[in-house]
Amino acid sequence: MKTKGLGLALILVLTAALLAGCSGGTQPAAEEIKIGTIGPLTGDYATYGENVRRGVEIAVEEINAAGGVDGKMLKLISEDTKGVADDAAKAATKLMEQDQVTAIIGAVLSGETNTAGPFANDAGVVMISPSSTATGIPDIGDYIFRNCLSDDIQGAQLAEYAVTELGAAKFAILYAKNDYGEALKKAVEGKATELASVVAVESYNDGEQDFNAVLTSIKAKQPDTLYIAGYYTEAAKIAQQAKDQGLNVQILGADGFFSNKLVELGGDAVEGAIFTASFYPDDPAEAVQTFVAAYQDKNSEAADMFAAQGYDAMMLVVEALKVGGTDRTAVRNALAEVKDFPGITGKTSFFANGDCDKEVLILKVENGKFVKIR
Amino acid sequence: MFLQELITFFQQLLNGLTLGSTYALIALGYTMVYGILEIINFAHGEIYMFGAFVGMFLLRSGKVPFPLAFLLAMGAAALLGVTIERIAYRPLRRSPRITALISAIGMSILLQNLAILLLGPQTSPFPKPFAVSVFKLAELPNYPHALTVQINTLQIFIMLISFALMLGLHFLVQKTKIGKAMRATAQDKETVSLMGINVNNVISITFAIGSALGAAAGILIGIYFNAVYPTMGVMPGLKGFVAAVMGGIGNIPGAMVGGLLLGLMEVFGAAYISSSLKDAIAFAVLIIILLLRPAGLLGKNVQEKV
Repeated sequence: MKTKGLGLALILVLTAALLAGCSGGTQPAAEEIKIGTIGPLTGDYATYGENVRRGVEIAVEEINAAGGVDGKMLKLISEDTKGVADDAAKAATKLMEQDQVTAIIGAVLSGETNTAGPFANDAGVVMISPSSTATGIPDIGDYIFRNCLSDDIQGAQLAEYAVTELGAAKFAILYAKNDYGEALKKAVEGKATELASVVAVESYNDGEQDFNAVLTSIKAKQPDTLYIAGYYTEAAKIAQQAKDQGLNVQILGADGFFSNKLVELGGDAVEGAIFTASFYPDDPAEAVQTFVAAYQDKNSEAADMFAAQGYDAMMLVVEALKVGGTDRTAVRNALAEVKDFPGITGKTSFFANGDCDKEVLILKVENGKFVKIR
Repeated sequence: MFLQELITFFQQLLNGLTLGSTYALIALGYTMVYGILEIINFAHGEIYMFGAFVGMFLLRSGKVPFPLAFLLAMGAAALLGVTIERIAYRPLRRSPRITALISAIGMSILLQNLAILLLGPQTSPFPKPFAVSVFKLAELPNYPHALTVQINTLQIFIMLISFALMLGLHFLVQKTKIGKAMRATAQDKETVSLMGINVNNVISITFAIGSALGAAAGILIGIYFNAVYPTMGVMPGLKGFVAAVMGGIGNIPGAMVGGLLLGLMEVFGAAYISSSLKDAIAFAVLIIILLLRPAGLLGKNVQEKV
């Protein structure tokens, strides 16, 4: 009697699972095009993910207000990865299979995109990252793009700038042990060794709080420049603790520094820090100012680089949607063809592998604000 | 060259002692609770986090002077600790120990997520209670960054407060009547209740004191690293537990020794081996210590009486 009941229950459960699985195959409504975003909306790196999402949102609203793409409205579906790479893969899969999105804008952190990319590529869905800068990301596959400059370029360009314009001679590099930090460290170490000298290279794990030990070691090597290859939460702490230890060096960083949280957590210690970015909010160009105003209106906060990149990524996808509609492959091919797209983060083109071709800006923290110096 | 190394060594020593004092404060909370109830209060890390948040909010309001905010946060955490004991541990006192352990883990997860829900997951800065100045204890000039052994007011403050609290606890436990009651309860709960001591009260007081110390650690670390966030109790909680075990769980001086030792190992591991492996190094040393001395450094192997 008992086994019979169990068998029946098993059959019912399996049938239910089968039906649930089948329902994922329906086509999206003809009147809308679904776009997914994945990134950290909560956690230590939340400003990146949240601002990318907001930037994409502004673009979606703008397009929909003008009548959509060929009359079809855009629908945005956002997933939270909390900054964890595995969650990014799960989020991407959910968007592609359950929500049937035509394209994904994401992921935000390089580690996330490295993990989620293969899933999107295998499924034949375009994934364009607005901020994953680690080396090799577009090489994951034909469907993976990015409209942000790779770490190789960012790191090398800033190292060069530091040597030629700031007179840096002895570099100390403190990098995060993740895809982003490792890629930057490689680029900066290479360039700095070539043009000047590297006296110390140390690493740290994400979420680390106490940098005193490693900074004391670095201080003993007498550097004049400290390149922090990591995200804003740790960078602010490093800068603060370096200052408390009397280590007064020029602090350099990459786009990970671009967050109002950097100044909030770092205070005086981050004053004078210089980093590479792709967006300058005070750029007088009309498209930039329209975006900045719209973003400020909607979110009561100033737009940052991640929001701008998100906006541009969405606009690039829209270009592709105009040609390809909801056909995922056609969208991919159209995106690859985009040349000299006038984005608010600069004129963007794609290399054959999906990597982006763009100019790097250099910003500095002055009086708690980001100012463009090149 | 040697002088340079020596100076750096002493600086690292100071770094390690500062970090270690905070671990010691957290470890004390674990060890006291274990000594009396023989359970690991896994929610202790969250009490530490709670103390830090209360302290931050009080200071942010601008209306509360720092010493008062400090004491109030400790008091609030003491209340939280007592409440947790009532809800999560007292009903399970007759149950097998694993049940209480699971309840503890559950409490920890609950408090963390409650904090994320109510306060948001982002990191907030901790208002600095006083200006930080640096005191140079030794200096090798003639370098672009003069090599110094220096200590700043924050570090002095942390070490002083930790030391004062530990001294206070030692005095309480060894020289007062309530301390005697706590030690007796840790030895034998049943007999002690026959002697007319209210075991429930003693346990509540133990939790209160342990939690207050945890909150103190939370505020000190919040100031030191200028960061307060809902999951800030996870790693320090784990490390505090490790420190307590290293020193001999249930043994109060052991917790202090364990905490300082852990702080030093972390810092020296980071400085001389690898900065990103420092946690791994600290835990590896824990394993080695336990293999050689299973009861911890100061622990005694107590034979079960028949």
